[in-house]
Amino acid sequence: MDDLLGEFVAETREMLEAIEGEIVAWESDPADRARLDAIFRFVHTVKGNCGFFDFPRLEKLSHAAESVLAEVRAGRRSADSNLVDAVLAIIDRIAEMADAIESGEELPGNNDDLLIAAINATADDVSISATMQAAETAALKSHGPGATPRSIRLPVDLLDRVMSGISDMVLARNDLARRLRASGAEPTIDGPFERLSGILTDVRDAVTRMRMQRIDQLYNALPRLVRDLSAELGKQVMLDLEGGDVELDREMIEMIRDPITHIIRNAIDHGIETPSERIAAGKREIGLLSAVSRQSGNKIALTISDDGRGVNIAKLGRKAVAAGLFSQDEIDAMSRDDLHELMFEPGLSTAEQVSAISGRGVGMDVVRSNLEKIGGTIKVRSKDGEGSLFILEIPLTLTIVSGLTIGTCGQRFAIPQSYVEEIVHGGSNAVEFSQVGEAELVNFRGQRIPCLSLAKVLGLDDDASVCGKTLALVRLGNGELFAVAVDQIFDHEDLVVKPLAPAIMATGFYAGTTLLDDGNPILMLDIPSIAQAQGLANETRVRTPKNVAIVAEVAAQARPIMLFVGLDGRRRAIGMDIIRRIDVAPRSAVNIEGRRAQVVIDDLILPLLGLDGGTLPEDKIKLLRLSDGQCELAYAVRDVADAADLENAIVPADDDSLIEGVTLIDGEPVTIVDGHALFARFGRAAPRGEPLTCRLPMDDEWSQSMLAPLVLAAGYRIVTSDDEAADVTIVMDEAGDPDISAEAAVIRLHSDAHGPSAGSEGIYRYDRDALIGALKSAGMGGK
Amino acid sequence: MGELLVMTIIAGRRAALRAADVQSVIEIERIHPVPRAPNFIAGLAALRSQSLTVIDCRKSIGLARGAAADCRAAVVELGGHPYALLVDSVVDVVESRSEPMPLPGGFGEGWSRVAIGMVETEDEPALLIDIARMVAGPGANRAAIAA
Repeated sequence: MDDLLGEFVAETREMLEAIEGEIVAWESDPADRARLDAIFRFVHTVKGNCGFFDFPRLEKLSHAAESVLAEVRAGRRSADSNLVDAVLAIIDRIAEMADAIESGEELPGNNDDLLIAAINATADDVSISATMQAAETAALKSHGPGATPRSIRLPVDLLDRVMSGISDMVLARNDLARRLRASGAEPTIDGPFERLSGILTDVRDAVTRMRMQRIDQLYNALPRLVRDLSAELGKQVMLDLEGGDVELDREMIEMIRDPITHIIRNAIDHGIETPSERIAAGKREIGLLSAVSRQSGNKIALTISDDGRGVNIAKLGRKAVAAGLFSQDEIDAMSRDDLHELMFEPGLSTAEQVSAISGRGVGMDVVRSNLEKIGGTIKVRSKDGEGSLFILEIPLTLTIVSGLTIGTCGQRFAIPQSYVEEIVHGGSNAVEFSQVGEAELVNFRGQRIPCLSLAKVLGLDDDASVCGKTLALVRLGNGELFAVAVDQIFDHEDLVVKPLAPAIMATGFYAGTTLLDDGNPILMLDIPSIAQAQGLANETRVRTPKNVAIVAEVAAQARPIMLFVGLDGRRRAIGMDIIRRIDVAPRSAVNIEGRRAQVVIDDLILPLLGLDGGTLPEDKIKLLRLSDGQCELAYAVRDVADAADLENAIVPADDDSLIEGVTLIDGEPVTIVDGHALFARFGRAAPRGEPLTCRLPMDDEWSQSMLAPLVLAAGYRIVTSDDEAADVTIVMDEAGDPDISAEAAVIRLHSDAHGPSAGSEGIYRYDRDALIGALKSAGMGGK
Repeated sequence: MGELLVMTIIAGRRAALRAADVQSVIEIERIHPVPRAPNFIAGLAALRSQSLTVIDCRKSIGLARGAAADCRAAVVELGGHPYALLVDSVVDVVESRSEPMPLPGGFGEGWSRVAIGMVETEDEPALLIDIARMVAGPGANRAAIAA
């Protein structure tokens, strides 16, 4: 029975952890059915389990929550914030009870009825908040000591010992492998050795990960913290978390948990204004709080920023004078950054009133000293009325870095993979080197990028030119791009980076050292420091929302394509959206007559394309079956390669109307076949008496090159003369209302991915599905 | 008195290290140089799963003369970092016959910086080396070592 009980408690706790974030996300979007279902499942499972164990109170609570959520699911109640508060309170109580059950104590509190009353109250009932508060206060009092979680604790040095033991085993294995190779093939030994090798690799992976945790572990608790705090303080805060996949030593995560909680409390309490203050200041009423973590050289940089009122440095200065830390003259002479530093002086707090959340004046100095204990740093930047930014840097010790190993002048180094944007072979035609003064530049995809010769930077060869070398394009945390010229690029490897001796760290070129599989030590380059030393990096920039918008637009334009090799052996690509399937047809199914070719598949005669410049294979041919929804085409290929996203710009090809253009995919030029042009020319739409007509914006290049083929493919004839009537008229958002007869349809396009400008409706011009849909429905209505 | 010492030869002179500080004596197969590092740092070497920072003792003392007879090094740990002290050769482990004592007039430039004092042994006296100062290199002052 005890075992079963333990299972029940463990399961409850696991589920609690899992839905913690869900419930807050659900509150911000009560229409989110998936989240609602997850929470419902939780209370439902708890209810079922406690019926089995005879916990009447727990059952009553979960039953109350379940029935309310069931009503929300059925659409009879809406999830307002009161309801969410009540559900959260019940979930908290369930957690407390689970703890009490495990430690064998009395179940805490006895005011479940208050919670149940709160959850059953209707949204307009004014007494709810009072009820809730009473319940919550009582809950707070009854909070017992936390029970032990279902996991074991290990001393970290034990893990270290295991890890170094495994590393030694890998080295011994490599040594053994060399000897085996030297002594010649030995099949009876080779098999088991391979197996041993494989197992060792697995174990090593597992052991290396044992110490690591994703920073998500830390992030998980934040939505709830922010929600509770902002509700308590009457503020509205949106939390934005980024970089949760950065891995950090377990110990480090524990060490930074409290400082980060403290900074977030401060940001909500002091930084972000109340909604009315924000509106008065011309900001959105919802404050934005963001936490971004990024691996940056030998550090993890964790940036916490808010768009609140910023740090009141004048007040900080006054306080420092009042506390006798500095004289007024000293304060007057201080720079803004120095004044920020005052925040970390013991005993200073800018809050006028001591609140329960923060402002006891024991905060930031403790935060800084805790961070410094683990070798981290903290910096503050702020702007009056615009927000503040906390930059925490935590050392990389023992973090696993995916690295790129490179060679120059016979020596090997590693670069953290996260910096490497692309690898470019200097010998290729796409790269051009130039020299301006002493500085060397590389021209790549129309961009001039500063280029460093690693040999020169490290003083291995002062005359090393970057010309023709292999380049690693490196992007820094602040978005700046530069190229590092090296002799060779070897491999990607997961590296466990260890700190270097202080005398080597002091050079500023290295972030750490690691042992490669062959047992040789290798240095990890400190890219940001090198860039800074070479004058290539600026102070960390605050990410502006503008950048986000640009990224979104690019993402909207990324279009999935299928890469294939044509019969002529050339690499081509075609839009994924028009490919219905890939088929194989026998040679005998193909019928070529003059310039027209057909193929018979599934008793259908389809026009066959893609034969130019190639010969048909002897027996079977591979076909891409293309469809625009109305008719089908077959495109003969030699081989289908891969799917990819079209991210780079398409350079139009003028001479061939069936070719949309050429783009770069993985650094190689690929010809894009224009699917719409194919259908426009070869597609045999269902016969109709007279094609519908469509008028396009005439003097617009975009509509001629992009829109026209699409409209043709949809079965329209394009009207060119001004006085001819058109069934459908397409206008761009910049243009005014066209002069058209009442029965004709109008499709309005706009160029902003996020939606039309205020007061008008329309279709984003790259939203081809919506556009085709609109053309189709206009056609049905028109005739 | 009665302390175990690892007796080595550095730049042709007898130099002793406290055996308690020395984890092992190894033969370094290959030293991987560290570009831009101070010149008394010979580079990195691998010992099992660790990277050792190899300190060229002669250069740390400030003597460039003489080449290492073999690649013997004493492995020590300081501030959590493992170091290999590259010496001319490792002679023996001996017992000290005296407390380390200063010598009027010092041990000569360079040597004085890294010396704890002179110790008597069974046969000849030797210089007892301060490992922290040896690792810190010629540029470092006492304050930096203490920190």
